[in-house]
Amino acid sequence: MDVMSSSLQQQRVVVDQLRREAAIDRQTVSESCAKMMKYITEHEQEDYLWTGFTSQKVNPFREKSSCTAL
Amino acid sequence: MSESTVPASNANASEKMASLLKEAENLKSKLEEERQKLNDVNLSNVAERLEQIAYVNIKPRKVLKGHQAKVLCTDWSPDKRHIISSSQDGRLIIWDAFTTNKEHAVTMPTTWIMACAYAPSGNFVACGGLDNKVTVYPITSDEEMAAKKRTVGTHTSYMSCCIYPNSDQQILTGSGDSTCALWDVESGQLLQSFHGHSGDVMAIDLAPNETGNTFVSGSCDRMAFIWDMRSGHVVQSFEGHQSDVNSVKFHPCGDAIATGSDDSSCRLYDMRADREVAVFAKESIIFGVNSVDFSVSGRLLFAGYNDYTVNLWDTLKSERVCLLYGHENKVSCVQVSPDGTALSTGSWDYTIRVWA
Repeated sequence: MDVMSSSLQQQRVVVDQLRREAAIDRQTVSESCAKMMKYITEHEQEDYLWTGFTSQKVNPFREKSSCTAL
Repeated sequence: MSESTVPASNANASEKMASLLKEAENLKSKLEEERQKLNDVNLSNVAERLEQIAYVNIKPRKVLKGHQAKVLCTDWSPDKRHIISSSQDGRLIIWDAFTTNKEHAVTMPTTWIMACAYAPSGNFVACGGLDNKVTVYPITSDEEMAAKKRTVGTHTSYMSCCIYPNSDQQILTGSGDSTCALWDVESGQLLQSFHGHSGDVMAIDLAPNETGNTFVSGSCDRMAFIWDMRSGHVVQSFEGHQSDVNSVKFHPCGDAIATGSDDSSCRLYDMRADREVAVFAKESIIFGVNSVDFSVSGRLLFAGYNDYTVNLWDTLKSERVCLLYGHENKVSCVQVSPDGTALSTGSWDYTIRVWA
């Protein structure tokens, strides 16, 4: 009986979980992907690893020039 | 035994079980049907009209040497300059990534420190691993760090990952005991535990939106779960990987997650469409993925592999942009700096490299 009630309990958890997942609001892939692409476009200029620095001078990790002007 | 001799309560329980199993089946097919209905386009087809990423100017800039064993985890400081790393050698090192200097080193009474994380203030670090514990150190002098350490929480198996969700006051951890846990730093109290995975939790990440109540976990049960931190419930679950999920990361837009797996693929799951929308894989890539992270806009996905390489993927086109070579052993962790100017990579070759 204990085995039965514990597996019943487990199955209830599974069903509750599925009920919650079934109840969520969803959008079409086209709508959602359009929003993601819009976000990416809006943040393109801040994305230095993608679009690079306007000048290497502003890259904090660039190698410092080894010669200095006298 | 005739049916009439079965105790009534037992028969009742069997009936309940049968009805629960039936409901689960119905819900599963309903879920699949709903997801399929919304699958109207293919992301990489939609992205065809976008310009290809022909070239990225990312170079190796710094090599941080000092660990005496495998580097297992790194985290950028909120100041965008310092990096903390943890290693199999039982040491934590805080680096100045601009100069490559070691500013602090702490030896823990354990090996395999699998996780480390900066507090939002930058004044504390949380770490742990094979000791099953999450320990917090204040960042002061080396002597004071060791003296003022505090154990916040304990799992029943190794701690694989940790993160500060909102403030210096709370820590979220993931563990080989298949659970995640939210701890109060001050009291060490367990605020919420998260049960649901059927395998070791390998990675967690916090949703980038303001409320800070959603996180994602990846597990050796091949699943990624989206959790509500307040209720402790799974909100969404994503499957598709053929092996352990080693890494999970939110897309900066907050409505998608990327995963990296031992099955040598990365995947993109869209939370609004509630389904997988991209797979990042090639026939020539046969080694597992240990760690993934997005660039600031989310267009690039960085992934560290067991074949010593870091692959850059175009998130939208699902194409590989390029490879970063340099490490001489497995790449265990990759992370973009908070301002998006650099990528740090940690490896089993004992080094951390900074690319920019």
